Amino acid sequence: MKKLHISTSLAALMLAGALGAAYGADYSPVTDARLKNPEPQNWLMTRGNYQGWSYSALDQINSTNVKSLTPVWNIATGVDSGHEAPPIVNNGVMFVATPYSQVMAMDAATGDFLWRYKRKLPEGFAALHNTSRGVALYGDKVYLPGLDAVLVALDAKTGKVAWEAKVEDWKTGYYMTMAPLVVKGKVLVGVAGGEFGVRGFVAAFDAETGKPAWKTYTVPAPGEPGSETWEKPDTWKTGGASTWMTGNYDADTNTVYWGTGNASPWFGDQRPGDNLYTSSTVALDGDTGKMKGHFQYHQNESWDWDEMNAPMLVDFQKDGKTTKGLLKPARNGYLYWLGRNEDGTINYLNSQAYVPQNVFKSVDPKTGRPDVDVAHKPSTGKAAKFCPGLWGGKDWPYEAYNPKTGMVYIPSNENHCNTLEGKVEKRVLGQWWTGVAVPDLNFSVDTKAGFYGELQAYDVNTGKRAWRDLYANSMNWGSVLTTAGGLLFAGGTNDRMFRAYDAMTGEELWHFRTNSGVMAPPSTYSVNGVQYVAVASGWGVDPAFQQSLMAELVGWNADVPQGGSVWVFAVNK
Amino acid sequence: MLALAPWAVVRARADDPPDPTSIRPQIGDHLVYFDGPNDGKPIRVADLELGGPQVQAYPADPKGLLRDNSRLNLIIVARVGEDGMSEETRANAAEGVVAYSGVCTHQSCPVNMWSVERKSFVCSCHGSIYDPKNDADILFGPAPRHLAALPLKSENGLLIVAGPFNRRLGGEKG
Repeated sequence: MKKLHISTSLAALMLAGALGAAYGADYSPVTDARLKNPEPQNWLMTRGNYQGWSYSALDQINSTNVKSLTPVWNIATGVDSGHEAPPIVNNGVMFVATPYSQVMAMDAATGDFLWRYKRKLPEGFAALHNTSRGVALYGDKVYLPGLDAVLVALDAKTGKVAWEAKVEDWKTGYYMTMAPLVVKGKVLVGVAGGEFGVRGFVAAFDAETGKPAWKTYTVPAPGEPGSETWEKPDTWKTGGASTWMTGNYDADTNTVYWGTGNASPWFGDQRPGDNLYTSSTVALDGDTGKMKGHFQYHQNESWDWDEMNAPMLVDFQKDGKTTKGLLKPARNGYLYWLGRNEDGTINYLNSQAYVPQNVFKSVDPKTGRPDVDVAHKPSTGKAAKFCPGLWGGKDWPYEAYNPKTGMVYIPSNENHCNTLEGKVEKRVLGQWWTGVAVPDLNFSVDTKAGFYGELQAYDVNTGKRAWRDLYANSMNWGSVLTTAGGLLFAGGTNDRMFRAYDAMTGEELWHFRTNSGVMAPPSTYSVNGVQYVAVASGWGVDPAFQQSLMAELVGWNADVPQGGSVWVFAVNK
Repeated sequence: MLALAPWAVVRARADDPPDPTSIRPQIGDHLVYFDGPNDGKPIRVADLELGGPQVQAYPADPKGLLRDNSRLNLIIVARVGEDGMSEETRANAAEGVVAYSGVCTHQSCPVNMWSVERKSFVCSCHGSIYDPKNDADILFGPAPRHLAALPLKSENGLLIVAGPFNRRLGGEKG
């Protein structure tokens, strides 16, 4: 590190004394225009842009010099569990959400610690996943969805609470882990709690005051369109379709695309019908939340395959012309090409498996509806094995799209299965209610497969796989960042590595061993002309649980050390 | 709805009497079913199936005032029988019935499931397994501590709290 940015470091050092005062005056409010066209030097939202690409136009760090990437600063978060939030950066200030509903603000160039918000969670509060997938920015505020289903607005300069808005009653099983999406002065949030039998929704709050603006349920009530797909009375009330990941947004048509989770309880025979809008993408009006369209990936969900990630907004070539589309590597193991229509409706175009999947016999080429092999569909009193298992071809970690390579990069897992058998259980408010107990998930792997986790690149126009990197001794839980410098950045493995790849070839160009496993999405930004790459490291939640199962199945070390920290890297000139 | 936190909990003043619906179980409290067909009724030894599974309960004072305003008061009760019980557990049990905090020491999830295979309590969130006959010792999973035991006695077949929880309640938090 000896020659690292001498001039930058010196300048930063000289500024440090005045920073506290200067920062307040310098903070540039986040506007609709900036969110619509985010400047490359900042990372204003979870996936970098409204289209959900996880792409940066910065190219100072590139495939030639990435081998000289060096840590510049690092800060402990002071908490354990899964760190799943990207560093969000505006005007040289970095905001990182951590597990247990905390936010830390740092000087993005120097690492100076500015403030911390620590939410006091209610006595006896419990959540299945005590994580956070990030904050959103708007105006001079930072928005954190508290685990206890309260949306908190903080003053970006001080970390002081500006307002709090109750989204739901946590005692009934609702909690919040996603990053909000800000659309035209409203803060949009979704909810987790599918394992507790909640009814999902997306809700919007006024960014300035916290006043509720609208709320759209993702399971229709009787009489509403789609209610006919809940054939057994009252099953809709506890039907799931939680909304636990952030949506994407088409500013041109004012349409929000949000993903929904699986249905509750897990076994489809207990709630006959297609069960709209579970495991779907819903298209909502950006002003009113009114549903404009939807696409359901698989009907009568019975595999715990949430389709919670919103599709990316990508314009691809189809039959020789540019098509406004949606692209989604689904948890069910298929990669989907969908039409993004002007009126908000979604139409099916094409799909293909990106990992081996034994549930779909075929997919209807017109509607996208799969023909399901019932031998691989678990139900009440009937065990069935299905692959990929309940963590899917990929779970929540973000894929990325690079417009310069025309490729989508998918962090995926294969050679794993589950065998589930359902039971009828009485629901107790706020308690696990899936129809199967955790010790009975019967996770299994193909021990002769040679690999489990992988990173795959596909051409978005042809669907041809360009390359893949296979992990023999780890699953992959790493969200991907791609840049105009021809690079991919991702962690996700149990060996604590953070890696850079050549986006064209998949060649690993650089790696760095961090304190813990990296599950958080990386981000990149620049301050005073210097490009940085940042990522939180902190293993926990599902990857930790899955690792303990792999310890029993194939002898991996169950102990991937926990405890979070944020790493920031730059090129050693 | 107002903008400035009208839903914030009003902090109790230091001289306010403690809320009887959220204080920890008191000696002499009954245990009352939290769910199932007997919801709200006091638990009798004879009602419980020998060999498990557990039932969920909250404490209630002798007049029936339920202390369910704190989730840390969630209790699990199982009639596991005295065979193979550790000394410590035997001292806290009444007629082969044991009671523990129902709040997992990992991340505070309810310990609401039962492993038939291991005759043990299971946390539904992350799969920690606790041995009911040995002071809720951890048999599997990420839990860092035993569940707190709640000493019991029986009076005319009714389960009564005989002492405070024997250790700290709730999960680890960052």
